[in-house]
Amino acid sequence: MSTLETRGLTRRFGGLVAVNNVSFSLDRGEILGVIGPNGSGKTTFINLVSGVYLPSSGSIMFKGRDITSDAPHLRARAGIARTFQLIHPLQSLTVRENVMLGFLFSRGMRLRQARVEADTICGSLGLERLDRGVAEITMLETKKMEIARALANNPEILFLDEVMAGLNVDETREMVGLVQSVSRRHNIGVGVVEHVMSVIRDLTHRVIVLENGEIIAAGPYEEVSRNPRVIAAYLGGAA
Amino acid sequence: MAVKRSTILWAAVVAAAVVLILLWKPTVLVYGVQRAGLYAAVAIPMALVLGIVHIVNLAHGELMMVAAYLAYFVANRLLGLDPFVAMVPVALVMAAFGWLIYKATIKHALKAPELNQLILTFGLAIAFSQIANLAFTSQSFKLSLSYVSASATIGDVSFGVFDFVYVAVAVLLAVGLRLFLQRTRMGKAALAVGQNPRGAAIVGINVDRTYGIIFSIAVGLMGIVGSLFLTKQAIFPGVGGPYTMKSFCLVAMAGVGNIVGVLYCSLALGLSEAVINGIRGYAGWSNIVFFAIIIATILVRSYRERKR
Amino acid sequence: MRRPLSFLIPLLALAAAALLPLVSGPYPLAVARSVLTYMALAISWDMLLRSGQISFGIAGFFGLGAYAAALSVLRGGMSPILSILFAGVFAGAVALILGLVILRLRAVYFSITTLALAEIFRVIIQNWSDFTGGPEGLVLPKLIFNGESKSLYWLVLAAVVIACAASTMFEKSRIRLALSAIRNNEQSAAASGIGIFKYLLVAFVVSSFIQGIVGGIQLQGYGFASPDAVFDSNYTLLPLAMALLGGIHGTPGPVIGALLLGIAAEFLKLHIPYGHLVVYGIIIVLVILFMPQGLYGLLRSRRHAVAPVAENRVDAGAWGK
Ligand SMILES: Nc1ncnc2c1ncn2[C@@H]1O[C@H](COP(=O)(O)OP(=O)(O)OP(=O)(O)O)[C@@H](O)[C@H]1O
Ligand SMILES: [Mg+2]
Repeated sequence: MSTLETRGLTRRFGGLVAVNNVSFSLDRGEILGVIGPNGSGKTTFINLVSGVYLPSSGSIMFKGRDITSDAPHLRARAGIARTFQLIHPLQSLTVRENVMLGFLFSRGMRLRQARVEADTICGSLGLERLDRGVAEITMLETKKMEIARALANNPEILFLDEVMAGLNVDETREMVGLVQSVSRRHNIGVGVVEHVMSVIRDLTHRVIVLENGEIIAAGPYEEVSRNPRVIAAYLGGAA
Repeated sequence: MAVKRSTILWAAVVAAAVVLILLWKPTVLVYGVQRAGLYAAVAIPMALVLGIVHIVNLAHGELMMVAAYLAYFVANRLLGLDPFVAMVPVALVMAAFGWLIYKATIKHALKAPELNQLILTFGLAIAFSQIANLAFTSQSFKLSLSYVSASATIGDVSFGVFDFVYVAVAVLLAVGLRLFLQRTRMGKAALAVGQNPRGAAIVGINVDRTYGIIFSIAVGLMGIVGSLFLTKQAIFPGVGGPYTMKSFCLVAMAGVGNIVGVLYCSLALGLSEAVINGIRGYAGWSNIVFFAIIIATILVRSYRERKR
Repeated sequence: MRRPLSFLIPLLALAAAALLPLVSGPYPLAVARSVLTYMALAISWDMLLRSGQISFGIAGFFGLGAYAAALSVLRGGMSPILSILFAGVFAGAVALILGLVILRLRAVYFSITTLALAEIFRVIIQNWSDFTGGPEGLVLPKLIFNGESKSLYWLVLAAVVIACAASTMFEKSRIRLALSAIRNNEQSAAASGIGIFKYLLVAFVVSSFIQGIVGGIQLQGYGFASPDAVFDSNYTLLPLAMALLGGIHGTPGPVIGALLLGIAAEFLKLHIPYGHLVVYGIIIVLVILFMPQGLYGLLRSRRHAVAPVAENRVDAGAWGK
């Protein structure tokens, strides 16, 4: 059994089926690409797994336990972390405090210890001057902070929702390396939602493709990217 | 489909309640409907503002109070106008006042977080009621008009009929606003702004002006409602406060943007209040029933919204 | 360099406040007592505001505390000091039970519900005459400390110290981080493992507890409670305006605001008997429009970024989480 598994996951918004009968699995140490055209349900899928929305039907198993109806914060504590596509860092807090949250509330550390751990993890990601407010940092730093915040939960599974968006080529390359090393070092299963195909190609072991909420293809990037249905739905649409 | 079934269910519940009340105390039905008319008339302008400008105006009831004072001191005392006549100039003055409030305050808070808007209008409410306090003290004023005590008798039941005016006005307001929003250019633009301000701006609608006009119309309507309120009720600086709360609750029950729904919700609440009032010795509890029902509705709604 | 000062100022202020009765006449002392009463309420209101939830129900829990204290003395034979504690516990317990339900609401839905709750408390007490004394209210046979004004003042000062201590505890502990995160963005907060509901409940219960205590003290100080007197909306309005003017999301703001507005209000009351509260309404409006961070925030913003009342935007149709 994989670390994270969904079975027949479906979510409707009124008449719209945003995620339709998605079954997938993700193991520790694995990097999975989740791609698909705009509005295909990628973010909604992450929202279902992280508990922002409850599914209309289907189930979610994590480490052999059914977490389908668990509250979001319990899933974070259990080991499912995520970043947000529309990043909403907590602007009343400093960078350090943003990162401390996971240590405090997911891992139950005391303030002093959380501060030390936050400094360590930020250091390993190349984040400095942690007393700054969130409004004062660059885009790259913001993205790194989001990853640090997620790692603070001590996750086994991590979803990154378009973390490369808004970065230039060099920064993107740096982030790709960072995600790889993070996955390897902490033995984390990473789900990467990304529109930039070169990132998916360089980063992932395996890819699933969503269209209208359904999985239309799955497999290694080379294979999926040649799939005519995927080309029609995604690569064609993007061109 | 689901909507239809719930409508039928509601109709059945209301019908059953009406029959029961008629068997028990027919006057309760009359007073319930009249009370509902007043609540709806006050609440509808708030529904308009919430639906289109997306702002909860906590100074809503206080604007009615201001209008009532205007109708009393300027229109009645100074110019000798009957409230039914006074409501026209009062509505115009109030509309201008609404425009001013919008331009001076609301407009600047629209981009701020919703909680800032809430505190802002709360501050306006305090300012209005305290200015009234300053100018007229906490003493209450009341007109004594002969026609408000008009009554009718059906069988051996006699009851006051004047308050049906509120019902008529509420229905007129609801229907009129609906027609305005659906048939007129301005109204259609307002609806578009209410649904999607950014989109409306793209197609060339002046969003800020639309907000201003809608807010000003709503405040103008409070001029009418306030004048009518004065016909029978005593006015004092704090008279509007409870109506803000009740209006918001009705609007919340009906669902944001649902003006006609306010009529139904007012009916349900007016009736249940009248029923409690009708039980001897329990009249004082009627307010609490109102709030209890309303809190329950808000909760049920929020719960449903989450599951949706 | 800032450290010793930040310890020293509150300590000096407390010492000054504690010594005031020894040097001041009866009138300034009465004013100071009323300022301190509102100060404690302002701090308690701000404590919940840090989570992003605005309560308009301060008067509700204050009044509940006053009645709990009165009834526990008259019907339960409690000692005055114990009755004040009971007032806090009772208000806190009511907040706990109600909070389980209403803390699922957000933004305006929560705010209006708190406003309605205050009204419900009032109606219940007004109508349950057999037990509560009804509209005429209740009179205590004798005041705490026999109504001796210095002791009464110190009692209220004790409430302020409790409020400041609780507020500081919120600020120095993980609670500050939790509440700020919730206020900024609930989804982000939950993704860091923060149990949103739990922290909202803590903030709501603690702030209601303080409001109950202050209500109990007010009752013991004046020996009288009636629905209209203790549920007076001024107990909501004044603290709110004070906290806003002084600056929200911290202890110093409400303290500064209460000092300024409390003293100003006393002055205005003398000169304009009716409607002096208009100043409060106007101050609220002006602060929101021109200085949402308040006076203390203005001082602080030299060093830090500006913080508006609530940084997160809530959709107009947001019913709840
Ligand atoms: N809360 C919601 N209410 C209603 N519809 C929603 C909601 N969230 C998402 N949707 C709809 O579900 C569909 C899938 O949206 P989603 O955000 O998951 O797509 P996505 O694949 O992440 O797209 P993108 O690449 O643009 O980020 C869209 O049509 C969207 O409008
Ligand atoms: Mg997305």
